[in-house]
Amino acid sequence: MTTLLAFVRFCGIVARASLSNPPPVRRIVEEAHGIGVRSLPILLVVSAFVGTNLAVQGYNAFAPLGGERLIGMFVALAGVRELAPVMVAAMVAAKAGTEMASQIAVMRIGEQIDALEVMALSPHWFLVTPRLVGILLVIPALTMISIFTLVLCSYGVAVYQLGLDGNDFIQLAAATTRPVDLLSCAAKSLVFGAIICLVSCFYGFHTRPGPAGVGQATNAAVVVSAVSCAALNYVLSEVLFG
Amino acid sequence: MTTSTPDDPIIRLVDVHKRFGDLVVLDGVSMGIPRGLTTVLLGPSGTGKSVLIKHIVGLLEPDAGEVWVDDVEMGRASMKQRYAVRRRFGMMFQQGALFDNLTAGENVEFPLRYHRRMGAAERRRIAAEKLALVELPEVYDRPTSALSGGQRKRVSLARAIVLEPDVVLFDEPNSGLDPMTSGTVDALIQRMKEQLGVTFVVITHDIVQAVTVADWIGMLSGGHLVAYGPTETFLQSDHPTVRAFLSRKLPEGT
Amino acid sequence: MIEGLAGLGRFALFGAGVAWRIVTPWWEVGETSRHVWQLVARCFLPVVAVVFPFGMVMALQGLGIFAVFGAQRMLSSLVSVAVFRELSPVLACTLVAAQGGSAFAAELGAMRIQEELDATEIMAIDSLRAHVVPRVVAALLASPVLVLVGSISGIAGGFVTAVYVKGEPEGVYWANLWALTSPVDVAGGLVKAFVFGGIIGLVACYQGYFATGGAAGVGRAVNNAVVIAVTVFVVVNYFLTTALFGAIGVG
Repeated sequence: MTTLLAFVRFCGIVARASLSNPPPVRRIVEEAHGIGVRSLPILLVVSAFVGTNLAVQGYNAFAPLGGERLIGMFVALAGVRELAPVMVAAMVAAKAGTEMASQIAVMRIGEQIDALEVMALSPHWFLVTPRLVGILLVIPALTMISIFTLVLCSYGVAVYQLGLDGNDFIQLAAATTRPVDLLSCAAKSLVFGAIICLVSCFYGFHTRPGPAGVGQATNAAVVVSAVSCAALNYVLSEVLFG
Repeated sequence: MTTSTPDDPIIRLVDVHKRFGDLVVLDGVSMGIPRGLTTVLLGPSGTGKSVLIKHIVGLLEPDAGEVWVDDVEMGRASMKQRYAVRRRFGMMFQQGALFDNLTAGENVEFPLRYHRRMGAAERRRIAAEKLALVELPEVYDRPTSALSGGQRKRVSLARAIVLEPDVVLFDEPNSGLDPMTSGTVDALIQRMKEQLGVTFVVITHDIVQAVTVADWIGMLSGGHLVAYGPTETFLQSDHPTVRAFLSRKLPEGT
Repeated sequence: MIEGLAGLGRFALFGAGVAWRIVTPWWEVGETSRHVWQLVARCFLPVVAVVFPFGMVMALQGLGIFAVFGAQRMLSSLVSVAVFRELSPVLACTLVAAQGGSAFAAELGAMRIQEELDATEIMAIDSLRAHVVPRVVAALLASPVLVLVGSISGIAGGFVTAVYVKGEPEGVYWANLWALTSPVDVAGGLVKAFVFGGIIGLVACYQGYFATGGAAGVGRAVNNAVVIAVTVFVVVNYFLTTALFGAIGVG
């Protein structure tokens, strides 16, 4: 409970620091680039294999009903709307989020954050704002890339492994995924991105001293942000698609 | 009473209390730090010297009491005022607190980049000048990981003075250094003091360093300022902790 | 490239060393059971908190599909197949990696940096046996338990959406739960959990055990542990699904 209050207060400071000064543009570009480039490879791999499994899974569920042709629709609904945004959030939390937490925690115990304060620079503005803006710029794009990879790979499995009709797949998937759904996915990913960044930076700022402290902060960052995103996903799905 | 008050203090602490959980670290500390002189705060490890210095720059806020820097009270000041005060400060950190992803020179340039409008060449020139002042002109392009402990501290000092502050704070400048290097750091502080003529606040547990560089000395013990005054007066103090420290021993039971 | 291969070789040696110590005495029984218990306790809430809403989402989207051909009653069959075979193993183990794996890497990394592992060796105690084997075994044993927990909460999540949010009849949900699901699916999910648990334990301990470079190095180890473990088991998952549940098309 006190942690939650401290977190809300932290978000308030970040919001104020971000709005009071023009953001450091160069740092934003660095962060956006770093987050995007480092998260992309693992995201491609995970998206690809979640896509393949989704196809196999859908096939197993619908074939007994004679509905295996609906697999394109299943992939679009389950994969595009739900799995892709959450999966991107989970992987970005695991990769970029843990990096934010451990970098900031290391700066905290090395008194580098105090050094920023003494140099009259708000550490929230200098460390959190660029990461926040960076992640918000990048995560919708990562989500779109992940959706594309996922659908492509489940198409591959549906057609080549399961021997289904590719045209059916594409028609159903396209019919189910309206442009507005993609926008909703992007919106979801923005919410997730903000949560991941704020939670990870929060745990970094409030680390305990020593290597063990850094480890714990990093650990807490990934678990709390992943759990928050997954839980919030249901609410967002109800609002956006329900 | 074995504490005195300077005529023209730049920083004034009024009855500052601070506790962390059950641990009382500062239990009513009042002192004035004289402008343009070097003040050394002595005390055994764990007596709240670092906590005190962090109150001065507003990194920590007192539970009770006031911290004045000229006419600004740091506890009540807005963030903006607090940052305005901090621009007048420089601080040399215990482990350097250098940014790991920058080179030594870039660390020194860092405050200039955010607080001064100037070109890259000008920044580099000033940073190189400050590095020369701390006798490390050759480390400019080195990553911080390639610096020794003493070098890190000196780069930290160069960074602290790059904005030409009114007050420079030194957090344990000698901790973790061998006696030889400690001697050079003392000489460096002494020389900087003559060249810059600004207010220095040094916290240390090293009595040799205190006597070498100080104009004023204070002794913190058990959360209290037990003795404080100009160096000569301080050395005459008959407070047991001071006597014990001067003979490099701790009294029974502390 | 060469470096990557060398790393892979070192990992293989590490894995073999740990595996050998698992099958030969002595075991740190007390330490191992402490880790099992700790892992289950730490991951329990996160697993429920993630798989439960996923079950809800499955039901939400699944109802949309089944409505197309008026088979809403089949919803629970879809949910249970998906949860037992895929969702729960993958999601629960992602949480085991994020919570347990990262904790392993953090603990061992800190022990490496603070020279506690060296101290163990100097005391003539095998540091792999003392510190690594208990953690790997704990991951192997705790993962199936947590996947089972996840499966139950996923099905419960589906139930909540279907019955309380969308007003489907309660009896139908329970009646169709086992229509397409067999004990084989449950067992398959647990086999997956066992394999994933092994991957998580080995990768995380490897990262922590060979951490270098101070506190920052511990942060890196934790990061790598989570990312690599999850990526590897998601890839392995595809092959396991195909092998266990044999989904080769009929053309």
